[in-house]
Amino acid sequence: MKKRGLADFFFLLLVGYLLLPVLATMLYAFATKWNKSILPEGLTLKWLATLFRDTDFIQAFGRSVLLAGGAVSIALLVIVPAIFVIVLYFPKYEKWIQMAVVMVYSFPGIILAVGLIRVYSKIGIPMIFVVLGAYVVGILPYIYQGTRNSLRNIDARQLLDAAQLLGASKRQAFTKILLPTVYPGLFAGALLSFSVLFGEFVLINLVVGSRFETVQIYLMKKLSTSGHIASAVVFIYLVLMGLLTFVIAIVTKRSKGATNL
Amino acid sequence: MSYLIIEGLHKKYGQVSVLTNIHMEIQKGEFITLLGPSGCGKSTILRIVAGLTDASAGKISIEGKDMNGVQPKDRQVGMVFQSYALFPNMTVHENVAFGLRMQKVNKTDMEQRVHEMLALVHLSEKANAYPKELSGGQQQRVALARALIVRPKVLLLDEPLSALDAQIRKKLQADLRSIQRKLNMTMILVTHDQEEAMAVSDRIFVMNNGSIAQTGTPTEIYTRPNNEFIANFIGHYNVFPRQSLEKMLGKSLIGQSTKFAIRPEALHLDQRDGDLCLSGIAKQSLMSGNIIRTTFEGEMTFTMEQLHQQGYSIEMGKSYKCYVAQEDVIALS
Repeated sequence: MKKRGLADFFFLLLVGYLLLPVLATMLYAFATKWNKSILPEGLTLKWLATLFRDTDFIQAFGRSVLLAGGAVSIALLVIVPAIFVIVLYFPKYEKWIQMAVVMVYSFPGIILAVGLIRVYSKIGIPMIFVVLGAYVVGILPYIYQGTRNSLRNIDARQLLDAAQLLGASKRQAFTKILLPTVYPGLFAGALLSFSVLFGEFVLINLVVGSRFETVQIYLMKKLSTSGHIASAVVFIYLVLMGLLTFVIAIVTKRSKGATNL
Repeated sequence: MSYLIIEGLHKKYGQVSVLTNIHMEIQKGEFITLLGPSGCGKSTILRIVAGLTDASAGKISIEGKDMNGVQPKDRQVGMVFQSYALFPNMTVHENVAFGLRMQKVNKTDMEQRVHEMLALVHLSEKANAYPKELSGGQQQRVALARALIVRPKVLLLDEPLSALDAQIRKKLQADLRSIQRKLNMTMILVTHDQEEAMAVSDRIFVMNNGSIAQTGTPTEIYTRPNNEFIANFIGHYNVFPRQSLEKMLGKSLIGQSTKFAIRPEALHLDQRDGDLCLSGIAKQSLMSGNIIRTTFEGEMTFTMEQLHQQGYSIEMGKSYKCYVAQEDVIALS
C-alpha cells in the first residue's frame, strides 16, 4: 500500500513536471495580467482575437500549412509508390531506404541548413523550394515507417496476386485492395509528418528566414514584443497538434478490417 | 485431348534450376495433387499455370488455348493460397463478390451467386464479418468461395489446409472433394502431406528436386512406389539393399533391382503359404491410435505395423519371426 502511494506520488510529479509549463503557457494566452500573482488576475480572449485580426499571423499560418502540406503531398506522390515497388518487387533494395532513413535522423538541422545554402544559393533555385525538397526527404522516416508497418501486417504481394487472378488489373488491385488496406498507416504517417513540419523552425529560419514567414518564425518575432500573443500562438499550435493526434487515433482505431500503423 | 497440358516446362532462377522438363496432362473434372517435400518446385508449377511467374521454357495450354503471354486476370484460373490472401478491408460478402465485380456482373445476379456460394461453404451467417473476425477454417472456406464463384476453368490450391489443425483439415478435405465433384471442376492441389493427397486425389504427381518422380492413382503410388524416394516419402516403407535382404531371407530375389521395399503393414506374425521370413528382436513399439508400429533389429532394422487389437502384444527384447507375401516385396528402380 505504501509502495503504491509512493508510485502515485512520483507519477503525479512527472505529470506535473511535463504539463505545468504547457498549462502555464496556455493560461498566459488568456490572462489579462499575470505579473505579481500566483494565478492570473483575470481571463480574456483579447490576445486570441488580436492574433486572428493580424493578417501577418493568418498569412504565416497559411504559409506553414502550404509548406508542410505541400511537402507531405509530394512525399505521398513520390515516396509511397517507390516504397511499394521496392518492398513488393525489389526487397533487396530496401536496405538503401533504411540507410536513408537513418541518415535523415543523423543530420543536425544546422549542418543541413549550411549545406543547402552552400550548394543551392548560387544555382538560382528559390530557396523556399530547396527547403520544400529538404522537407520531403526529412519526412521519409515517418512515411516509410507508416507504409512499411502496414505492409508488414499483410502479405501484400499475395493480395495483389489474388486480386489479379479474380480479374483485376494491376492498377485495380493496387487501388481497390492494397491502398485501402494500408491507408490507416499511410494517413497516420502523413499527419505525423505534417505536424513535424508544421513545427519546424531551424531549417526555414536559417535558409529562408523572414522572406517566407511561417508560424514558427512569426512566433519567434512575437516573443520579443508580446508574451501574451506568443502564448496565444503556442495555444493555437497545441490545439492543432491535439486535433491531428485525435484524428490519427480515430482513423487507426476505425480502420475496420484494414491494418493499423 | 487433355483439358490442361503442360509440356517441357523449365524454370531457372539465375543458374539454379527449380523445375526440369515437367510434362502433365490433366482431364476436365480431375482432382490432381502435386505431392512432394518443401522446395521441390510444386508451388512454382502452380504460379506458372496461374501466370504469376514466367516459365524459362515450356508450354501450357488450357482447353486447347496456349497460355503463353496471357495475363493472370485473363486466364480464367482461380487460386486458393496457403495464407488465404483474403482482402482485409472487405467483408466476407465483398471478398466473395470481388471477382464478379471485376467481371461487371449485374447486381441481382451477383447477389444470388454470392448467396449460393456462401451457402455452399456454409458461411451465409458470416457474410458481414471481416476476415480477421473468422477462424482459420472459416477464412479458408471464404477463400475457396471467392475462387469458385468466378467459375474458373482450373482451380489451383496451394497448400490451402496446411495451416489448420488436424480435425478441421480432415473436414475441409472432405468438403473440398465433395464440392469438386459437385461442380465437376478441374483442381490441382499442392501439398506435402501424403495422407491428404491420398484422401482427395484422382491422380497424384509425386515431385522431387524439380521433376516428377512418379504419377499414378493414390493406390498405384502407395502400393507400387517406383523408387526409394517415393517409398520413403509416401509411407513408412522398409527399404532394403538387395544383398542384405537376400541374406536375411536366405534366398535369391528375381529381377535386376538393387533395392526392395516392403510396406510395414504387409508384415505379420502368422505364417502363410509361400511367405518370406524376416527375423529380429523387438526394440521399440509406438502406438498411434489404431496402429501399433514395432521396430525390430536383426541383420537389418525394419518396422511392422499392425492394427491395435485387444490381446495383441509384442514383448520388447524378445526375438520374433515376421512374414511377408512374396508379391509384397516391391522391386525399386
